[in-house]
Amino acid sequence: MEQEVILSVKDLNVKFSLRGRVLHAIRDISLELFKGESLAIVGESGSGKTVLTKNFIGLLDKNGWVDSGEILYGGMNLAGFTTEKEWAQIRGKEIAMVMQDPMTSLNPLKTIGWQIEEALRQHQGLAGSAAKKRAVEILTDVGIPEPERRYKQYPHEFSGGMRQRVVIAIAMACNPKILICDEPTTALDVTIQAQILDLIHDLQKKYRLTTIYITHDLGVVANVADRIAVMYAGDIVEVGTCNEVFYSPQHPYTWALLSSLPQLGVKGEELYSIKGTPPNLFNRIRGDAFAPRNPQALRVDFLHRPPYFEVSPTHKARTWLLDPRAPKVEPPEHIKNIRNLRDEKKEDAQR
Amino acid sequence: MLKYILQRFLRALLSLFIIVTTIFCLLRLMPIEGYLGPNWEKMSKEVIAAKLAAKGLDKPVPAQLFDFYKALFNGDLGKSWIYRENYPITKIIMPKMAVSARLGAMAMALSLLLGIPLGASMARSKGKWPDRMGTAFVVLIQAAPSAIYFLFIQMYATSGTGIPMLYNARAPISWILPIISLALPSIASYGMWMRRYMVDAINQDYVKLARAKGIPERSIMMRHVFRNAFVPMVQLVPSSLLYTIMGSLYVESIYSIPGMGGLLIDVIQRQDNTMVQALVLIFSGVGILGLFLGDVMMALVDPRINLQRKEESR
Repeated sequence: MEQEVILSVKDLNVKFSLRGRVLHAIRDISLELFKGESLAIVGESGSGKTVLTKNFIGLLDKNGWVDSGEILYGGMNLAGFTTEKEWAQIRGKEIAMVMQDPMTSLNPLKTIGWQIEEALRQHQGLAGSAAKKRAVEILTDVGIPEPERRYKQYPHEFSGGMRQRVVIAIAMACNPKILICDEPTTALDVTIQAQILDLIHDLQKKYRLTTIYITHDLGVVANVADRIAVMYAGDIVEVGTCNEVFYSPQHPYTWALLSSLPQLGVKGEELYSIKGTPPNLFNRIRGDAFAPRNPQALRVDFLHRPPYFEVSPTHKARTWLLDPRAPKVEPPEHIKNIRNLRDEKKEDAQR
Repeated sequence: MLKYILQRFLRALLSLFIIVTTIFCLLRLMPIEGYLGPNWEKMSKEVIAAKLAAKGLDKPVPAQLFDFYKALFNGDLGKSWIYRENYPITKIIMPKMAVSARLGAMAMALSLLLGIPLGASMARSKGKWPDRMGTAFVVLIQAAPSAIYFLFIQMYATSGTGIPMLYNARAPISWILPIISLALPSIASYGMWMRRYMVDAINQDYVKLARAKGIPERSIMMRHVFRNAFVPMVQLVPSSLLYTIMGSLYVESIYSIPGMGGLLIDVIQRQDNTMVQALVLIFSGVGILGLFLGDVMMALVDPRINLQRKEESR
């Protein structure tokens, strides 16, 4: 299936200056985002998931900068944007963002209606009753009951799940093409998480949105993503469709990540955890960044950075294991059970 | 809201009653020699008794208290005993308070006008040179004893500028230096608090969300940062009302301003009970009013605070 590329990242390098030292946060990332798809970016804390997507709307912290590379969107190179004016045509309007914690993402002193209208005024020039009408429409869209009454209320009168719906409403206010959801359910109650994911999914279908989920919850990923990009130490080590990454993972880090799913644990045994710590990005990284934590690492892993090896047209991974000269290393036995696990989950859902 | 205000008013009356009664009783513990003047050792018993009786001090304390409140309800604060003997207290205090309050109010307006923009611009340029300069100013004003820069201002600002050294009620130009002196410490403190609250607000998630939804930086600063930082400031400001009418002992004395500065201390030392009672009543009244205004204004600007609901839940 030929898909239209909506955003493409080419050889992106992002650096931060911290206490006089330079931190290399994003190391040579290339990624294509297809129109209408939903991509999940997974990886542990500090792997650069959020930093990568912050580049798409120019919200990198002040001490960070794009060192090299391009982010192409609608014929523009976002990586070259420097002024507020340039970003004004992207932020909110083309690419919107839903943040992690709905409890703090809304201004406590302004009504919900005002906060949605603020975006409408900014991007669509709507004001007065037209803006109100649209705001109430959006509130209805994100499943808030009694939108007319809720419109006039303040954030403290909403529950966490409802607030996240409002945050999504704000993001949706200007019909963006891309919606970045930065851990949209992490701060929510488990029972609410599914509702919010469903909502984003419905909106995606309805408006042909392209969504990016940033998460470290593989359960979320399995439910919502078409494609998965696995990040480690500022690099995408493996990318493929949801099925490919779950059922035939290639990179040792992906194996390790999947192994740490608590659902795969055997009763009575300790849960799997990845030994060691991620590399310090202040230092220059040689070879495969995951090698020091990988018990089966090859010698070449410590010396040379692996290129991407294509497993299928949609699936590629940065690991020397895919090189024809590499010895055969089998993925751990237990992650082969993932298929059963997911099937069970689906059956549960159908029930 | 009205119900809340009424309730607060009644509670304020109760607080005032407790404060004034306490002060009244404490004053009755003072040695009686203090009321008699310098030559009390040579006075006969009859003279002493007559002197005390003239001030009503011969009666038991509850009776004295009753007399005091009875007069107070008729709007009579009484007469000064010693400060200006037998002169009505209202006539002593009113002109003094007018002088202090006028200068104090102008100083407060000036410090709000300068302190809040100072804090706001410091917060916006956090870590850069305007912020550093501002911080240096705040630290200097707050750390150095005010006596030093008050004297500096008086010395250097009057030489060659035509501004007179001393206060003159009829020459407003002579008010400038006292007002600046009174305002400087509050400029520094408003600046410091405003900067702090703004920096807090800048780091809030809702500011990041506003940025992500594409609101220009200027509007974010006004609508989300400044507005939100202003809420705690609003509560802070009315409570400084008290300081404007109390006057500043030091500023008023170096410019020889006939204001309230130091009056309370003075009358306590001289055991002028009626004056002390009157001043305590006024000061605590204004203090309570300031706090109350702060709460009401806070409720007006912050929708999360609902005074009515608080009262219902009680």
